[in-house]
Amino acid sequence: MKKFHALSILLAGLLLLSACSVRSDAAELYAQEAPIGAEIKLPETISANDKITVQAVLTQDGKKLEEADFVHFEIWKQDGSARYPMQEAADIGDGVYRLTASFANDGLYYIEVHAGNKGALISPQKQFVVGELSNSDLEALKQGPQKSEGTSGHHH
Amino acid sequence: MMNEEQERNTAAKETAKTKKMYKTIWRWHFYAGIIFAPILILLAVTGSVYLFKAEIEEAIYREYYEVTPQGEQISASEQVEEARRLYPEALVTQYRPGEDEERSSEVTVMEQGEAFTVFINPYTGESLGQLNNDDRIMDKIEKIHGELMAGTIGDRIVELVACWTIVLMATGVCLWMPRRKKGLAGVLFPRLNKGRKILRRDLHAVPAFWVTAGLLFLVLTGLPWSGFWGNNFQAMITNSGEGYPPSVWVGDAPVSAVQTKDIAEVPWAAETLDVPLSEIQGLVPLPLDKVVETADQFGLYPGYTVYLPQEKDGVYTLSIFSPKAQDEATMHIDQYTGAVLADYRYANYGIIGKVVAWGITLHKGTQFGLPNQLISLFVCLSVVFVAVSGIYLWWKRKPEKGLGAPAAPALVQKKPFLLLMAGLGILFPLVGLSILFVWIVDWLVIQRIPAVKKWLNA
Repeated sequence: MKKFHALSILLAGLLLLSACSVRSDAAELYAQEAPIGAEIKLPETISANDKITVQAVLTQDGKKLEEADFVHFEIWKQDGSARYPMQEAADIGDGVYRLTASFANDGLYYIEVHAGNKGALISPQKQFVVGELSNSDLEALKQGPQKSEGTSGHHH
Repeated sequence: MMNEEQERNTAAKETAKTKKMYKTIWRWHFYAGIIFAPILILLAVTGSVYLFKAEIEEAIYREYYEVTPQGEQISASEQVEEARRLYPEALVTQYRPGEDEERSSEVTVMEQGEAFTVFINPYTGESLGQLNNDDRIMDKIEKIHGELMAGTIGDRIVELVACWTIVLMATGVCLWMPRRKKGLAGVLFPRLNKGRKILRRDLHAVPAFWVTAGLLFLVLTGLPWSGFWGNNFQAMITNSGEGYPPSVWVGDAPVSAVQTKDIAEVPWAAETLDVPLSEIQGLVPLPLDKVVETADQFGLYPGYTVYLPQEKDGVYTLSIFSPKAQDEATMHIDQYTGAVLADYRYANYGIIGKVVAWGITLHKGTQFGLPNQLISLFVCLSVVFVAVSGIYLWWKRKPEKGLGAPAAPALVQKKPFLLLMAGLGILFPLVGLSILFVWIVDWLVIQRIPAVKKWLNA
């Protein structure tokens, strides 16, 4: 009987231990960041010389990020033939920041959104196509992830 | 008159009881010692070497480590490019910038299940050479020390040995405890002139007592590493909010919060671009250079490693387990937005996490540098001495026939001892499991076969 007792205590202890894994919400018990989330919206198709609107929809702490410290857009062409300098985006409220632009030539482009608020920074890059892709664009795409073209480290 | 007799009787009973108890403890110490001493010696020897990992690698990998500073360093992504060129089929998994300007960068790649480290001169972008991680001597020693080079089974055996070492120490201290007040000879220092038998006993028991605290510390600080007890312990303290934050040791890293449809497809077919245009439009991963830039801005301790995301929703993880616990850091960066999703420093650890972190750097001998290494080395060598002297003691006392184990009174009769073993068995389930195993073998085999029973003195 005693043997059985000791045995059951042991088994119970074992179960107690092996049932242990990290809870998915355990991170909430420790230091937490408030990262900015961004969705970059562009028209589905863009032709050369179209006047288009680029939008960044920002969130932070699960809420729309209104009145961010700064939101800048930067656009360049893959082959380096065109570069639109960093511009401040218009804050149209509800966490939406907007810029209008047009592109003279077809090809592969990149837009980088630099946004910062209360110490949190982001700089997502989106790849988009104007008109048709050139052979050199296709070549660049095959090369895999493009190298750092955007300027960086401007905002502190 | 009656009273005196009664008293004498009780006293005699007491002595008989103590004697039985002593035998039981001795028996457990005896078997645990014979079974686990060889592995304990192996752990102590490999541990002694591993204490000097940094110094040894510094010496044997000098040609891979040393670079002469000249002008500006080239970017991290260009350095990774060079490793890609050398291993076109491999997956790049890690990048480690040098901790000072005279140290090369390291790029780790995986090819067919094997990891290679490519050492890059950050000034010229040229490779200084490559090492297969499995061939690195210190990696081998670490594998022996941590898992006897036998994967999960080895890990469990090491853990079992570590736990049984606690049992050995507990029973050993009971046996060492002076039963008659006769001064400190044979207790705190060995009796050198009382004949060979006494000297043999003292050369085991006395140093063993002295090394107990150090060994207990090494066992307790090593256990959080173990695969079974350690992982469960880590999970429990992380869940309590007082351990390491999740992902530093156990638990998952956050994910890059991006919907798959927003990510740009990468066409890898060399000849045809078979991805529709709309799929090409999307977010592209953050360049490694920006991750390194963020690390520098956030003041990460030099010598950190960047783990590159391998999944679409993976993150860049920056991690440094520095020589001193206070400099540790683990950071997760969103693969697409570059947002810092988590930034865990020593200061963010819970109180138990801090203690465990200190335990680990002390165990590795890095927390206080050379004095730390020398003290740990001394403990390791003493452990070897005690284990060897224990086995020698048994060998000399061993009768021609049989193992020479003290006779076994039934274990379950000894309540305090049973409680102690049950306690240890619950605290360290592998000990509990192995005790159960011994019980079952004893009950099913040993007690039923007279020859075995006699040999084991059971």
